Amino acid sequence: MVATRFIGWLRRFEKWFGFVAAILIAAGLYTGLVTSSPDYYQGEVVRIMYVHVPFVQTAMLSYFTLFVCSIWYLWKRESVVDNACHAAAGLSLFFTAGGLLTGSIWGKPTWNAWWVWDPRLTSFAILFLTLVGYLMLRTFLEDKEKGATFCAILAIIGFIDLPIIHFSVEWWRSLHQPSSISTRGISIAPDMMVPFTLMGVGVSILFAYMLMVRTQMLYLQHLLEAKQGRLLSEGQFE
Amino acid sequence: MHFFSVVKWIAWKDLLSEYRNRENISSMFFFALNVILIFSFSFSLDPETLKEIMPGIIWVAFGFTAIIGLGKSFLIEVNNDCMEYFQCLPVPKGAIYLGKFLGNLLFMLTVEIVLFPLFVLFFNLTLLDQFLPLLLISAVATIGLSALGTLFSALTVQIRAREVMFPILLLPLSVPIFIGAVEATRGALSGAPLSSYQHWIELLGVFDVIFVVVSFWIFEFILDY
Repeated sequence: MVATRFIGWLRRFEKWFGFVAAILIAAGLYTGLVTSSPDYYQGEVVRIMYVHVPFVQTAMLSYFTLFVCSIWYLWKRESVVDNACHAAAGLSLFFTAGGLLTGSIWGKPTWNAWWVWDPRLTSFAILFLTLVGYLMLRTFLEDKEKGATFCAILAIIGFIDLPIIHFSVEWWRSLHQPSSISTRGISIAPDMMVPFTLMGVGVSILFAYMLMVRTQMLYLQHLLEAKQGRLLSEGQFE
Repeated sequence: MHFFSVVKWIAWKDLLSEYRNRENISSMFFFALNVILIFSFSFSLDPETLKEIMPGIIWVAFGFTAIIGLGKSFLIEVNNDCMEYFQCLPVPKGAIYLGKFLGNLLFMLTVEIVLFPLFVLFFNLTLLDQFLPLLLISAVATIGLSALGTLFSALTVQIRAREVMFPILLLPLSVPIFIGAVEATRGALSGAPLSSYQHWIELLGVFDVIFVVVSFWIFEFILDY
């Protein structure tokens, strides 16, 4: 009952999330790629940041969603929450991979290296590997309930990486720049702030939209498997 | 049953079992020995460069040892159908985790203590002055490694392809432990004062507390299956 109501709610609002995300991302890409000025030091290369930073922020947001849903699942044991966990893990992997790729493309002209073993990059790569392990664990566990519990446990343990990623630039001597928006103030030019904000909010809402769609897909897949199992067992006993 | 008596008896069971058949410790030791031999063949460097990469070599060897040893932590219970007994024990399941964790910690420390003289032998190191700091670093790092390894061993022992899944799950999350251990070991081997690498040992201590506490709390959910 709870699951049906939740899925109904998702179906009602997903289109709005998709629509708003599309508008914001389109506006963000236009302002970022066309109207904003190039950086004084980096030149045109800075425009990759309008994709890289939102992807990284959304990767961390999606892992945080996975963490919260995992605790919720261990507490309430609702299968639709497990569907949300599975969806969040896949999306988190997508955004993490996107963040690593775009960061690499930015790093080559700026640092003259595709990759450096910088604390932030290393901890972000650990997040990627943790998510790969999560999805592999799901595949290898045939019992769905056991898979859901064990994956939730892994997601909770893996959450330690998120504060390390965030604070790594302050704790260690890092090549990666520190946060541009912090308690010390904002160190971004106003005409760069607009595309950053539009893309940041837009990609986050895109994640929410994708999460809604993917959760429904997994819920329906689960339902279909359950019905197939019931039909098969009924056929056997007729 | 009292909580600490369960911890004590589970650790004692593992130590006694290992003392009788020596299967786990010997496989960990000889695997690590092979790794050390391969590294000593592979790198023919001047002493100064060797000193730079030595901490990495030490902790790679200990890391592979952990994969071999910790991965089999719950195998004996699964093979003898004893996991159900663990589930039925009328104590917090964290007591079982702590007992297994203590046993694994002692196995790892034993192997590391035996391996350090071999590093001195094959790589011509002088460790006498830094013996106590190195012992401290090994102990603190091994606590974190054993904490994570025990939890993931319980997680993966019941699934197919456990030999593949255990290192895939353990290694990414233990990277902070390895980084801290390598940096602290580098400081110790270079003869620097403890205050210059103390912050790495403190970082390892923080990770140890987090991993042990979270694993203790979360272990109950694994044993429900």
